[in-house]
Amino acid sequence: MRPLQTIAVGFDGSLDAEAAVRWAFELASQVDADVVVIHAVGLLEYAAHRGVAVELEKTVERLAREAGIDSARVHWNLADGDPCSVLIRAGVGPVAADLLVVGSRGQGAHAGLLLGSTSHELAEHAAVPVVIVPTGREGQ
Amino acid sequence: MLIVSGPTGGSEHDGGGHPERPARISAVMEGIDDLHLGTDVQIVVPHVANLAQMARVHDTAYLNELAAFCKAGGGQLDPDTYAMVDSWSAARRAAGAGLAAVDALRQRDDGVAFVVARPPGHHALRDRAMGFCLLNNIAISAAALTADDERVLIIDWDVHHGNGTQAIFWDDPKVLYVSTHQWPLFPGSGTAQEIGGPHALGRTVNIPLPAGATGDVVRRAIGEVALPAIDDFDPTWVLISAGFDAHRADPLANLALSSGDFAELATMVAGFAPRPGRLVLFLEGGYDVGALRMSVAATLGALLGDSYHPEDSTCGGPGTEMVHQARAEWDEAFHRARLLNPSERRVR
Ligand SMILES: [Zn+2]
Repeated sequence: MRPLQTIAVGFDGSLDAEAAVRWAFELASQVDADVVVIHAVGLLEYAAHRGVAVELEKTVERLAREAGIDSARVHWNLADGDPCSVLIRAGVGPVAADLLVVGSRGQGAHAGLLLGSTSHELAEHAAVPVVIVPTGREGQ
Repeated sequence: MLIVSGPTGGSEHDGGGHPERPARISAVMEGIDDLHLGTDVQIVVPHVANLAQMARVHDTAYLNELAAFCKAGGGQLDPDTYAMVDSWSAARRAAGAGLAAVDALRQRDDGVAFVVARPPGHHALRDRAMGFCLLNNIAISAAALTADDERVLIIDWDVHHGNGTQAIFWDDPKVLYVSTHQWPLFPGSGTAQEIGGPHALGRTVNIPLPAGATGDVVRRAIGEVALPAIDDFDPTWVLISAGFDAHRADPLANLALSSGDFAELATMVAGFAPRPGRLVLFLEGGYDVGALRMSVAATLGALLGDSYHPEDSTCGGPGTEMVHQARAEWDEAFHRARLLNPSERRVR
């Protein structure tokens, strides 16, 4: 198994995604890895909500401070695409993450379980291991 | 002769405030009316596509899940894409409209067909909805044609890369997929190095273009980068993913085309069809209804020999360098892949 050098985590601003980012920061601190926090910019966000990404980046900075992780270890990445595809791509170049981390719901989650969530899709298509951080893990 | 398959999607599948909306269909039909074609237009009423037709390009499990998701009331499939109770029938009818267009052309052996249907299709993957798309309409029609041993050229001039169509035919030597699109932009795929799978090397041609690119650059992209692959492929059918969101007024992207550019593009790609009755245009994107109306009219007018030019074509925008770079990258990727797969032969 290759060492964990880069951990990619999906972030859409939801509480589930915050839990995933916190978990990724915790792991990265333990194994001395970099964290790439990835936000997928979809069709609608590109057109209408350019301010969203700025706010999300601030949230990530706050989470990093709270986690006490070295800020040089944290990289903010805006990627064009849907949440599932951008994370699958993070498992190959140029991000080349060794591990993908997602919340159990959040960005791209389906209203029902019928079509599976981003996490389910990722597990099926990703080139590297995927960690799904369970909802409600915060505070445990 | 213009064959209009549809319109369908003019009232159902309405996300309320979503840019991919029923009003797009009325705008397209108004664009057709602007041409005053009289008896030169024939309307085909499409049926819904059946499971076997859809399963040529989609996993059956996905089709069943989508049907059940809609039946249960629908919801968001991803941050961009919605489905509702009636979206399943709307999507199947949009897919069926493509199949009906192909059938109509086969019967007449003449004319041009335009599939006026929504939801659009070119982002839909084998197993997943994406980018406003539920079923990949153009892929379902192309697969019906290749099942009859036809060679299908797909030109995708929508401003976004048609990742779904590319993925579906990635390793299929019977389909040549050519796309011009803004880069970087959603869906994030579509580099020039993506040239097709081991059984279909060179059967994918992507030409990414910078924001601000004008019509002359898009035409140069097709002429300089895609033309050799098209000549080599020698298509028996030409299908167009005709999105009109590369128009300068479109709110979802930043290319700088006018409706006049779509007219010139249409004339260019019509020349790739081997004979009359072998060209089908599929509506994909286009979210400014005024631009959509003008662009549809200009495109179809050009194909029917009508000089309807509400706007001049554009030139002088950036992107010539990127076109040259795409040519070099595609060539390099192709030759590298052939060296790695010496036993693979492109099949005609
Ligand atoms: Zn588009």
